[in-house]
Amino acid sequence: MSAVIQVLKRAALALVVFTVMACLTFLGVEALPGDACTSLLGRAATPNKLEQCRQENGLDEPVLTRMGTWAVDLVHGDLGYSVKRGAPVSEIIAPRLRNSLVLAAASALMAFPAAVVLGMYSARRRGTRRARAIDTTGLVLMTLPEFVTASALWLVFSIWLPILPGVAVLSSDATLAETMPTIWLPSLTLAVLVFAHVMRSMRASVVTTSARPFVDAARHRGVPERQVMRRHVMPAALPPAVNVMAVTGAWLLTGTFVVEVVFNFPGLGRLAVDAISDRDTALILALTLFGLAVFIFSSFVSDTITRLLDPRVRAGLGT
Amino acid sequence: MTDLGRSSFELEQVGPLRPARRRFASVAAVVILAHVVLALVAPLLPLQSVTKQNSDAVLSGISSAHWLGTDNLGRDVFARTLWGGRPSIGLALASVVLAALLGFLIGMVSAVAGGWIDEVLMRLNDVLLALPSLLVLLLVASFIGRDASVLIATLALMYAPPIARLVRTAALNVLTRDFVVAARLRGASRWELVAGEVLPNIRGIVLTEVAMQFTWILLAFSSLSFLGLGASPPTPEWGLMIAESRNYMTITPWPVVAPIVMLASLVLAVNALVDRNGEEAAS
Repeated sequence: MSAVIQVLKRAALALVVFTVMACLTFLGVEALPGDACTSLLGRAATPNKLEQCRQENGLDEPVLTRMGTWAVDLVHGDLGYSVKRGAPVSEIIAPRLRNSLVLAAASALMAFPAAVVLGMYSARRRGTRRARAIDTTGLVLMTLPEFVTASALWLVFSIWLPILPGVAVLSSDATLAETMPTIWLPSLTLAVLVFAHVMRSMRASVVTTSARPFVDAARHRGVPERQVMRRHVMPAALPPAVNVMAVTGAWLLTGTFVVEVVFNFPGLGRLAVDAISDRDTALILALTLFGLAVFIFSSFVSDTITRLLDPRVRAGLGT
Repeated sequence: MTDLGRSSFELEQVGPLRPARRRFASVAAVVILAHVVLALVAPLLPLQSVTKQNSDAVLSGISSAHWLGTDNLGRDVFARTLWGGRPSIGLALASVVLAALLGFLIGMVSAVAGGWIDEVLMRLNDVLLALPSLLVLLLVASFIGRDASVLIATLALMYAPPIARLVRTAALNVLTRDFVVAARLRGASRWELVAGEVLPNIRGIVLTEVAMQFTWILLAFSSLSFLGLGASPPTPEWGLMIAESRNYMTITPWPVVAPIVMLASLVLAVNALVDRNGEEAAS
């Protein structure tokens, strides 16, 4: 019972944090020099035209009034209107969001299982040649910049062995079937990076847990090694790794600017880079909010899972 | 991947250091030293001009005139690669020093003061950590400008929170130890506690974290340049060079491969050294 209340409390906190951050983001974007009208009119801006454009788009109201309108619209699912692109923000974002979700899912599916298994392997066989090789590879993959990994994979799989399509030439609203073939290289790049991070945290976590006295105690009691791993080490070693998975999962959805630009992938990352270059404030605001929401949600999910995985909490639930 | 570096917390590893690892670490130290020296002396070396264009020798391969060939504007890749670390390393160093000072101040005040000051500082810290750093950098560079001072301030602000968090945790850890209690009973002031007891005990772990953050800042700035909002052409900068020459990779790979090797070797060397320190501290 108390666990349910704890989770609800955590959810309420997440909601409060999101609301505060959303308002701060609105004010932050507002504080940036220039607005939708200066960006739309560009060099053609004259004081008269600016005045007219601002009146048409309701930008002449005081900041707090506009923040109120924006918040009410947001609650009703209206993300705003991009003056620069002449379309509702939700219509611009929807197909990109779908592409980004598919990309993130593909990368996570490739990376997470392999990372957990190899991280455990490398921790248990610590010191052997093979474990060291896995470990060093992880360090190298983790520290290489994204555009380096991306360029290397592109060079190998698209130019030397031309088996995968390199740069996507697709409109953002291409159907899923059209998008699929171009997803290989970007998702492989992302998977490599995410794999390295999760694998290393998994390894470190298992190594640290294995050195704890209660694991020794179990071994001395004569518990078989498989059982020691499954019943004693894993429950304590998983939560930190789950945390890293949540953070990397959030990053897959919101931080993939470079990879999307390299492969010209029509996802949210490239949209954000374009929106920032165009100074399309309505779009920037929506994308930043989305990033915040994903981050806050993922940390909520990881906290909840961590709590549910904790044997002490589970024991409390059983009684 | 710059944000993952800000939030993923590597647990310390245990176990004695193997000779192979030690050799690995000394190689890393030499690589770092070579990078620093090269960045410092590049202007003194008898290199070709980094900005002079030559339309007769565009995308030429390796030759005795151009050791790594030329890029799409006929500029000497070897000279540009040697110069290319200067903006990123300089900017990253300045940012990481500022981030370390800021993070140290916030973390230490938080740990020593406790109570509501701690609470407020750490919530602010969380807010900064929640912001995606590359997005903030892109926004700042696009709207406010890409002057070095603006970028350094932004990078310092974005990369101070993980340092602050570590300093706070490490300091709290030390503050509960017996020798600190003893010092307190001796009547040591807060300042004496921080400078005399806490600082010497957390120096190693904090410096390790700062070195890690240096590589993430370096990558963040290179990514920014790669996306066209960091160093501006015709400055030779690794991220920018890769972006400029990427489309000609099938004709000659050197203008892309050379800066990649430089950037990757520096980041890898720092991380390898950090990895070793982590193992030594634990054993």
